[in-house]
Amino acid sequence: MTTATPTPQSNNRRSLGQSQFSVAWQQLRKNRLAQTGGVLLILIYLMALFAPFLAPDGLSNYSTSNITRFHPPTPVHVRDPATGAFTRPFVNKYTQQLNMDTFVNEYKPTAEQCPIYFGVRGAEYKILGFIPGNLHLFGTGQEKPDCNVFLMGGEALGRDLFTRTLYASQISLTIGVGAVLASTIIGLFMGAMAAFFGGFVDTVIMRLVEVISAIPYLFLLLLLRSVFPQDINPILALYVILGILAFIGWGGLARVTRGQLLSVREQDFVSAARALGASDNRVMWRHMLPTMTTYIIVTLSLSIPGFILLESGLSFLGIGAVEPYVSWGSLLAQAQDGGLSSLNSRPWVLIPGFFIVFTVGCFQLLGDGLRDAFDPRKRQ
Amino acid sequence: MFPFLIRRFFQSIPTLLLASVLIFFVISLAPGDFLTPARLNPGISEQQLANLSASFGLDKPAYVQYFYWMRNMIFHGDFGLSFQYTQPVLPVIWPRIVNSVYLVLLNLVFFYAIAIPIGVYGAVRQNSFGDKAINVVLYFLLGFPSFFLFLIVIYLILNIRNATGWDIPLGGMTSGNYDQLSSLGQFWDVLRHLLIPALVLAVTDAAGLTRVIRGLMLEVMRSDYIRTARAKGVSESSAIWKHTFRNAILPIVAGIGGLLPAAISGAGFVEVVYAYPGITPMLLTAITASDLYLIAGFTVISTILLIIGNALSDILLAVVDPRIKVG
Repeated sequence: MTTATPTPQSNNRRSLGQSQFSVAWQQLRKNRLAQTGGVLLILIYLMALFAPFLAPDGLSNYSTSNITRFHPPTPVHVRDPATGAFTRPFVNKYTQQLNMDTFVNEYKPTAEQCPIYFGVRGAEYKILGFIPGNLHLFGTGQEKPDCNVFLMGGEALGRDLFTRTLYASQISLTIGVGAVLASTIIGLFMGAMAAFFGGFVDTVIMRLVEVISAIPYLFLLLLLRSVFPQDINPILALYVILGILAFIGWGGLARVTRGQLLSVREQDFVSAARALGASDNRVMWRHMLPTMTTYIIVTLSLSIPGFILLESGLSFLGIGAVEPYVSWGSLLAQAQDGGLSSLNSRPWVLIPGFFIVFTVGCFQLLGDGLRDAFDPRKRQ
Repeated sequence: MFPFLIRRFFQSIPTLLLASVLIFFVISLAPGDFLTPARLNPGISEQQLANLSASFGLDKPAYVQYFYWMRNMIFHGDFGLSFQYTQPVLPVIWPRIVNSVYLVLLNLVFFYAIAIPIGVYGAVRQNSFGDKAINVVLYFLLGFPSFFLFLIVIYLILNIRNATGWDIPLGGMTSGNYDQLSSLGQFWDVLRHLLIPALVLAVTDAAGLTRVIRGLMLEVMRSDYIRTARAKGVSESSAIWKHTFRNAILPIVAGIGGLLPAAISGAGFVEVVYAYPGITPMLLTAITASDLYLIAGFTVISTILLIIGNALSDILLAVVDPRIKVG
């Protein structure tokens, strides 16, 4: 019989005690797709934060003298058409004229050039609500007021769609995430109450969960929205939608929390903590709830896309973000303004939808990555 | 199986009652009652107002109103009076519900016809080129709100119509000459209108289910009894469909009940875009007009649909899974 000599481990660093999070972090570092999703999300949130600076115009600016309803996108040229030499980027000025055969207002580029300047002064704004500024990344300046750079065309009132899409990202990216956070807190709290008190409280909470899930979500949303007047303050309307989304979303988590806490309550480490004289509060917050951390991180990241989609849908129906605020969903509602049958004359109003798809895709990549990172069976 | 069904039926009664309580009290939270706009209407006399107020018990506290509402609903099938239509709610909303159910049923047919074959294919040919390609496409589709995908489809249809002159319907449920068509022609006309919205909805929804089916199939395929079945020498198709698939879909069958209301909700967005005479467009106008009993009627009926759907999925589950019959 030979004794196998243990081969000395060349890399001892990994055998040191590792916390769950450092293992998960290492797993995530290996997942290129999840990393890409994460980085793109950071970029898109930065875009939302600096939207007023990146946008060439103000959120609700439009000219009453030069009406640019559904103005087509203006291509940016960098070569002078006469000489072919590179110049400062410019867009052509557009004129409009009514086609007497079709009665459609047609936009035609003219030879007049509108140079694009970088770092121009324009509409006033406040980043984060308190940093004032009027500097814009690019724009046509104020010398030629009828010159417009419409990267993504104009919308129904002739406002710049690109500007509005950037501003809309602030709302779309906040409400979904905010609603998920709020519903997580409610779900945890309710689940913990149900498990801790048991009896009557437990029955009431679990019945409430059942009832909420028994009513179709769209109708419950509409019903709850109808409690508030239609013409409430637009800012308040955003909070209302956030609250409603949180209210319909907490049920599943409450159920899981209750089940998990009930099973954990019987385990040795909880009895040990109690035997050592820990208070109820300490047992709950330091010993029982932390067993849920992984689950919460994963469900949180996986439920954000659903809420972003739901918010866009509500705004699309006109009960989410209302003027003067916009979200990607309410921008898409513009596709219906003026009849769907003329949609093919203004396809650029569909562009904000791709921002939804992109954001949801990034959240999904990150969420899947996190789920795999915390799952011991998928460890590499 | 029958004791199981009866038990489930009695369990669903308190849920339905509590749901109706929740719906009613959410509505009574709203400022004003459904007579508030009527008081401003000079065409409605004081006497009529008093009559309406008395018949709905609006002069009494909320819980008494609830019992009035409940009593009218259970014993007279009366869901209250729609304010916009000045008609009882049920005859107003019933055709809309039937229309929505048509759309949802066709949508469900497409939904399973798409999700099951693709999900099974993905599991059987795991990591093949086809599987990976489908996965990428589905991942992409998951991010599309259904109404956005539908807007894109409408844009494409418009272009096809302009290029070829085909008469592809773009909205509504019937053509202008619907009344002159024969009954077969009417059926085909409605089907033609339903086809595109049902398909678009099915594609957006199926993205999720396909991934679930694939995952469940893979899990079952690794189990011992499938290896045993293969060792016995059952044919490949029998191993996949009879042994793996039947076991893999059990969690899905259990969830069918929740699918019907979810599908009605999901179809809502497409109904709005397509100007389809379904539930959601009417519900939206009801909300702007604060036609509260109409809203409550829709919500109650779709909640009843959920309970019926749950019962159906219980029956299906009992058919698919023989172990249920014992319990």
